[in-house]
Amino acid sequence: MRPANDVQGRDPGASRLLVKSDLVSWIRRLMDDAEVIAPAAGAGGDLMFGPVTDPASVWLGPGNPLQPPKQFVLPQTDPIVRIERNGGGVQVSSISDERARVIFGMRSCDARGMAYLRRMQATDLPDDSYLRRADRIAVVTLACTTPCTLGFCVCCDAGPFARDGHDVQLVDLGDRFLAEGATERGRAMVADAPFRPATQGDVVRRDELEREAERHFGDESAHLGAAMRRISTRRVAEELWEAMSPWCFECGGCNFICPTCYCFSVKDRCQDHGWERCRTWDSCQYSAFTLEASGHNPRERRKERIKRRFFHKVSAQYYQRDGAVGCVGCGRCVQTCLGTTDMPAVVAAIRKGVWHG
Amino acid sequence: MGDLFLPEVARIASMRDETPDTRTFALRLRDDRRHDSFSFRPGQFLELSVFGFGEAPFCFASSPTRPDSIETTVRRTGQLTNALHTLAVGDEVGLRGPCGNGFDVEAARGKDLLFVGGGIGLPPLRGLIWNVLDERDRFGRIQILYGARTPTDLVYKDELRTWAARGDLELLVTVDRGESGWTGNVGMVPTLFDKTELRPATTLAYVCGPPIMIKFVVQDLLMRGFAEESVISTLERMMQCGVGKCNHCAIGHCYICRDGPVFNFKQIRELVE
Ligand SMILES: Cc1cc2nc3c(=O)[nH]c(=O)nc-3n(C[C@H](O)[C@H](O)[C@H](O)COP(=O)(O)OP(=O)(O)OC[C@H]3O[C@@H](n4cnc5c(N)ncnc54)[C@H](O)[C@@H]3O)c2cc1C
Ligand code: SF4
Repeated sequence: MRPANDVQGRDPGASRLLVKSDLVSWIRRLMDDAEVIAPAAGAGGDLMFGPVTDPASVWLGPGNPLQPPKQFVLPQTDPIVRIERNGGGVQVSSISDERARVIFGMRSCDARGMAYLRRMQATDLPDDSYLRRADRIAVVTLACTTPCTLGFCVCCDAGPFARDGHDVQLVDLGDRFLAEGATERGRAMVADAPFRPATQGDVVRRDELEREAERHFGDESAHLGAAMRRISTRRVAEELWEAMSPWCFECGGCNFICPTCYCFSVKDRCQDHGWERCRTWDSCQYSAFTLEASGHNPRERRKERIKRRFFHKVSAQYYQRDGAVGCVGCGRCVQTCLGTTDMPAVVAAIRKGVWHG
Repeated sequence: MGDLFLPEVARIASMRDETPDTRTFALRLRDDRRHDSFSFRPGQFLELSVFGFGEAPFCFASSPTRPDSIETTVRRTGQLTNALHTLAVGDEVGLRGPCGNGFDVEAARGKDLLFVGGGIGLPPLRGLIWNVLDERDRFGRIQILYGARTPTDLVYKDELRTWAARGDLELLVTVDRGESGWTGNVGMVPTLFDKTELRPATTLAYVCGPPIMIKFVVQDLLMRGFAEESVISTLERMMQCGVGKCNHCAIGHCYICRDGPVFNFKQIRELVE
């Protein structure tokens, strides 16, 4: 657990206050300049991220949508190149989406997930159109003063309060929010009325809430580290992966709802006068993911694919390459998995050397 | 590389059938200036778009010393390659690249070179072979050993004759099964090793072909005294993006499209799933 922040040394200007009755008018003001995306109850009652039409419908209570907000930086089907046929031949052009957007009410785990995706797209050969889109998105997180039931963000250093990936963090103080501007853009968003300066007491309360929230998780933070050591040195018995494999149904759900998964395929989609080349989400748990035209498949067996997923997420090799573990502890795979090969279960199995199914 | 996924439009300048299912395409970027400034290394690959069918990786089969055309030799095996084979001279395709690391031609300077190709594995070597032949005096002895299933499956048949006629290299060709009229060697590629003199201490061996052939050839070369670092190959994996983002070609934390496709055998041994 990290030491309490030094209240005295903190920039007082960075912490602002918003009384809850002003929330709707603030969201409305953000909507003037940008598309605002926030959790709200969908048609069937499920919580979902979507563009806000009515600021009063924005849900800042407990719970996090099953679909992370990744679809707004990496859409499930993402047009990247326009291919047009006209008299003079084929014309190709990049498609980019540089709408100004605010994702509002995101949790710290998802903010970490977005930061992870951005870093991934920025390293080695940078994908500029991804970066332009991601950089036009301001992130307003809501600190988890009451941790969610399945999350384990403390194990991944990704919560329950945000430390990166956000522009503004809101902390629920009862009748008001503490609003912390983490970036220049974020500080500008909370600079004017109805925001007012926070008091020393508010900031002290915020820190108490953070420590209380962290205490809720118990002392679990060693688990990923132990699994990382074994996976990185390939000291996980083959039989263990084998034992897990009947417990995955290859639905791909874990990948699709994971805030850090980004594997994709590329397809041309028919349009008027040509095609749109799209990147589409793909899953490393599918056998066709590595199937070559010759019929040869280097990861033919399910255990090899499960091993691959966890090597990418928690090996030291990837930790060094990507600068973070590929898990943010949101707990969505626990909720989604048709079987039981979710992150906490597999990490526990690796640590203990046995699989209980 | 500007926009990571944006292909450039190229035209098929000419085509040549190599075998019943394999064809060589010479491509020319539609924009002359771009074509003239396009550069690549042998062993690198391009992402070729057949519009409406997506993209797939194919290695450069031509040499950068002959910049007039960019060539690639493609076997018909699935959706995109089938569609490519229906195109005609003058048709437009997309070209993105070059991708991957390529062969280190500088490091081969002054060395004896042994090329071992199997079937459709000759194209990546062909680019390097012409590169080396066009700068012949910078390299030592050159041996080319090539095998295919049948004489019909041999690619670049004209060039094999041209190479055979040159006095400054040794070419040995074999087929697994002869056909009527075939008077050459019959047997798997490794059987050619006994028909020539190998000099492991001074030679770099470049091996490309189907995985099973690579396995036997490399085993044989190591037994005959080649160092693992001196045996160089290209790896193939399912790829979608060619630029290290889509994750299909990852082995461990290496990406065949970025860290490869060219590796020496010591590196290949260290790649763990
Ligand atoms: C670095 C590299 C160099 C290659 N060089 C050549 C070459 O010079 N000549 C040649 O004939 N073939 C080459 N291949 C193999 C070639 O890419 C596949 O044959 C081709 O992708 C098959 O596409 P398809 O659409 O016809 O097949 P489908 O089976 O319909 O495949 C659909 C898609 O899957 C992917 N895919 C399938 N098989 C492979 C594969 N083996 N490798 C990579 N992606 C695959 C492609 O994106 C393809 O478009 C190379 C592969 C790699 C990785
Ligand atoms: S969610 Fe579970 S069942 Fe589905 S692919 Fe992932 S591990 Fe397998």
